[in-house]
Amino acid sequence: MSDSHPTAPIARVPALLRQVIYILVLSALVGFMVNTFRPGGGIPLIGDFSEDARFTDGTGESMVITLHDATRAWQENRVLFLDARSPDLFAQGHIKGAKNLPWQDVDNYFMEIIDGLASDALIISYCDGETCELSHDLSLFLKDMGFPNAKVLVNGWTVWQEQGLPVEGS
Amino acid sequence: MKNYQRVTFHTIRLILAAVFIYASIDKIINPEGFAKAIFNHQVLPDSLINVTAIVLPWLELFIGGCLLLNVWTPGAALLTAGLMTVFMAVVSFNLARGLDVACGCFSTTDAKGMDMMTFLRDCLFLVLSWGLVAATFKKSSRIIPSQQASIKPAG
Repeated sequence: MSDSHPTAPIARVPALLRQVIYILVLSALVGFMVNTFRPGGGIPLIGDFSEDARFTDGTGESMVITLHDATRAWQENRVLFLDARSPDLFAQGHIKGAKNLPWQDVDNYFMEIIDGLASDALIISYCDGETCELSHDLSLFLKDMGFPNAKVLVNGWTVWQEQGLPVEGS
Repeated sequence: MKNYQRVTFHTIRLILAAVFIYASIDKIINPEGFAKAIFNHQVLPDSLINVTAIVLPWLELFIGGCLLLNVWTPGAALLTAGLMTVFMAVVSFNLARGLDVACGCFSTTDAKGMDMMTFLRDCLFLVLSWGLVAATFKKSSRIIPSQQASIKPAG
């Protein structure tokens, strides 16, 4: 190899493209094969990312409650709203009457929050954002702890405010 | 290529190989979790999420493997830089619009949202990957002996 006669990099492009294509094709082939023969079955090629599909409990049942049903339960005073966000965000604003049970600190707050709560009580967890998982994780935890009526109001803080429903906080 | 350039080239190659192989492992083990992480970034249509979750981890593994073994290095380096550019664009876009989602870059179970450290880390990998492409092109732009012989003037 000589260091004194450089050629234009473009002279190498066909080989470069071949390598790129080989790596892409190999990755795709192996990826699809492993997914097909994965023990327990792979994931479908097209997934279901609807709210009902994403926010399910261990049995696959949807935990989602609609804003309409959540509002009615709130008006009839038969629901406990749990805000799964951090205390800072909770202090800035939250659904009126909600209690703060931050998911990342759930062990420290849980006993205090559920004290005196009937096991069949309707509990609606919420956080903020379409993809926020805190409320889902919290509701799964509550179900495991013996509260079968734990529900999730997806993107709860935003949709509640958008409807002009009562809020409180600084 | 001078000695220190050669050492730098191979160091960057091995660093990026380790990063890409490490990044692929958890995603290959848990494609469902990775699909969820991709969905959370909200940049791909739903119909492309699972296909990406199936192929991308293996692409990362093959790229890492090629860099580690120094096989098809120019192609692997270009793919590394391409992927890092895409990742960087997604991270920047989501940080700019304030989307609080986990990166999913190295772990599908990471609950911590992206922050400036994620951005800076990806910046570093982006610079390294384009540096590797530049070094690879520089290295492969040198003429090989058979070509040198064929262009020698007759006589």
